[in-house]
Amino acid sequence: MGTEAWILIALGVICVLLVLSVIGIYNKLVALRNRFKNAFAQIDVQLKRRYDLIPNLVEVAKGYMKHERETLEAVIQARNQAADAGTQAAQNPGDPGAMKSLGRAEGQLTGVLGRLFALSENYPDLKANQNMLALQEELSSTENKVSFSRQAYNDAVMQYNTSRETFPAVVFVGVLGFKQADLFEIEESAQREAPKVAF
Amino acid sequence: MDFFEHQDVARRRTTRLIFYFILAVVAIIVAIYFVVLIALTFVGGDASQGGAPNPYAETPWHPDLLVVVAAATIGVILLSSLYKTSQLASGGQAVALMMGGRLIDQGTSDPAERRLLNVVAEMALASGTPVPPVYVMENEPSINAFAAGHEPGDAVIGVSRGCLEYLDRDELQGVMAHEFSHILNGDMRLNLRLIGILHGILVLTILGWYVLYSLRYSGRSSSNSKGGGAIVIVVLIIAVGLLIVGSIGLLFGKLIKSAVSRQREYLADAAAVQFTRLPDGIAGALKKIGGRPETSKIEDAHAEEISHMFFGSALGSRKVQFFATHPPLAERIGRIDASFDGKFPKRVKPVKVKPEKPKPKPKEKPRSPFDAVLGGGSTPLDPGGVLGRVAMPGMEQLLYAAAILESMPQPLGRAASEPYGARAVIYALLLDRDADMRRLQLDALKGRAETQSYRETERLASLIDSLADEARLPLVEMTLPALKQLSADQYATFRENVDALIDADEKVDLLEYTVRTMLWRHLDVPFGLAKPIAVRRRRIEPLMPSLVAVLSTLAYAGQESEADIRRAFDKGMAEIGRAGSLLAKPDCSMQNLDAALHTLAEATPKLKRDILGACIACVAADGKATPRECQLVHAVAAVLGVPVPPIGATAPV
Repeated sequence: MGTEAWILIALGVICVLLVLSVIGIYNKLVALRNRFKNAFAQIDVQLKRRYDLIPNLVEVAKGYMKHERETLEAVIQARNQAADAGTQAAQNPGDPGAMKSLGRAEGQLTGVLGRLFALSENYPDLKANQNMLALQEELSSTENKVSFSRQAYNDAVMQYNTSRETFPAVVFVGVLGFKQADLFEIEESAQREAPKVAF
Repeated sequence: MDFFEHQDVARRRTTRLIFYFILAVVAIIVAIYFVVLIALTFVGGDASQGGAPNPYAETPWHPDLLVVVAAATIGVILLSSLYKTSQLASGGQAVALMMGGRLIDQGTSDPAERRLLNVVAEMALASGTPVPPVYVMENEPSINAFAAGHEPGDAVIGVSRGCLEYLDRDELQGVMAHEFSHILNGDMRLNLRLIGILHGILVLTILGWYVLYSLRYSGRSSSNSKGGGAIVIVVLIIAVGLLIVGSIGLLFGKLIKSAVSRQREYLADAAAVQFTRLPDGIAGALKKIGGRPETSKIEDAHAEEISHMFFGSALGSRKVQFFATHPPLAERIGRIDASFDGKFPKRVKPVKVKPEKPKPKPKEKPRSPFDAVLGGGSTPLDPGGVLGRVAMPGMEQLLYAAAILESMPQPLGRAASEPYGARAVIYALLLDRDADMRRLQLDALKGRAETQSYRETERLASLIDSLADEARLPLVEMTLPALKQLSADQYATFRENVDALIDADEKVDLLEYTVRTMLWRHLDVPFGLAKPIAVRRRRIEPLMPSLVAVLSTLAYAGQESEADIRRAFDKGMAEIGRAGSLLAKPDCSMQNLDAALHTLAEATPKLKRDILGACIACVAADGKATPRECQLVHAVAAVLGVPVPPIGATAPV
């Protein structure tokens, strides 16, 4: 056999490996992307549940907190903003812009909710209201679920981004159209702590 | 034939497939050898004008060339085949995600999705398999579904959008029963193998295309020199040869795939009818496929690759018979519904789905299906009947499963349906009944788990305490789809917490053992911590010491007096037709049982049936099964990887 044939064979083998690795990288990234998108769906379910609970909470609080209209309105406004941002993010999970604005809106909502609960300390009747108690309990349990599924989502995004940035994937991702995904971080706001549940 | 035998057939068929595959590879090597030979003769002829003799023109026999060609071909096929197989190693989830499936949230409030999840959960509990996660392919308006995975633990079910919209509950149940029969019959594993093997051959054609494609660009620059032109021509010939040989190989591969698939489809249809006792369900679904313009065609680019996994033909029904992965619709319907006249419905309208509400509970509590177990402390048991039900679950199990699902307190069901609550459900299930022990366990958990999940566990604990024993293991099965959604880190923490809870009281009791076994058996594979169990043992003799250990443990668990223990043990041994002597009680520890069961888990499906048969005979020696014995059998079955429907199950009154 001549040298030419050997070179040909070597070239062939290299081509095979190249084609295989591109196909493999593509499939792997598709699966990882789907995985974090599915993980976001988990968060989305819990966020929606939270957005549904808040108007009920405000409705109950309204009866007692006559002088806190501003706070109550701020809660509703923050809730609506967060719900909008949530819809945006659900359409395109991982999109840096959408995730950022959702994180910001969520941070604000958590902040005003915290203010509302702090104020409710001054209204013993409200604090004793059974509905209010049940809603608060439900809300804090939903918060926990959000943070839990957020952790799962962030883990999935990390995994996706890491595989995306490792060699040789990093050479092709641009051409194959795999964009960097963003973590879901609740942005620091003035009052960041989760709504306190006081009994 | 029951599903143990079907599993054996599927396994043998896999072996035969590999044989065919080797044949095909040999044929491909020979073909490529000649292609290369022709190419080299051509070059040699070119060079011989200069006077050098052409070694390739004289004789077609060149061992060194053959070795090179064979090594290269086998390398390419083997590498790409292994590669694809490893990609699918994480099981059904990989396939579902590849098809662009969206996981249906277990807590969904969409009526159509809810209904589907209920149907799947009933089916899973009735057959004793873990509840599989369900994915919906949103972009597919046709009616189709698939099941994918290596074994029941990592199986997933995928349905098209059309399935949700156009099928009524009975039809959906028929389709799901068909898919569950694939899960139970071991078809899924065969199907995954097929994908890997076909991929190996496919890569040859990809390679051919790729070389041709790159020649179009490099052709101009290198054709200037004479030697370069010759190389281009050689490469061209080899590329075209690869393309042709690969295509022919692929053709045969697809023929094999289709032939295997068609047979399994009839089988799954028949099993679905047997399972649901509702021929109208699956026949109705097939008729609707025929009545819709989209039929069962799947648009996704990957459809071809997994076409043999679908419920209906994913490539449209107008394909040539030879390559059809599914028998013709009319023929399939005809086998189920003899009165079918070959006319499909003209128009298929979407079905209106009403939300499924749990039936209002009658005031006076009716005799629950598991009262027998709780009340009398034991259930009458007929060993033949139980094994029969294990091997071929039927309507009774479906009703029983529905009854268990309905009796589950709503908050528990809700918690089990999302990852956060599902963890807490498992933690709560593992809490000891004894108050002091429980405090010990909760303290251990408090230090480890985040405070929120600790609180959730406490909240659920009271609900779980009032849960009937019979509903506990089904509850574990219900949590599985949610637990599969944990991230890898979360799963690692969860695993540690479960171990901490179990070890807190420094002894492993039976329920703890069973729950832990079921969890790890079904979760470790999807999380990549374990490989699916391979079949390594084909004969019963080497397994006897392990079986003796298991039967001894079972005998001690169920009987009090010396004579009864011996009798139960002997009954079990008699079932398998071997002699052996009962182990001493101290030798029957949980560790020994565990080790013995893991050895038995490597047996072939048929051997597993005999092993399970012996266990059931041993438990049923006195004609009764205590809850403890039932649990043990479930533990045995969980490690063996044999789905077992609730054992005490009799049709609800």
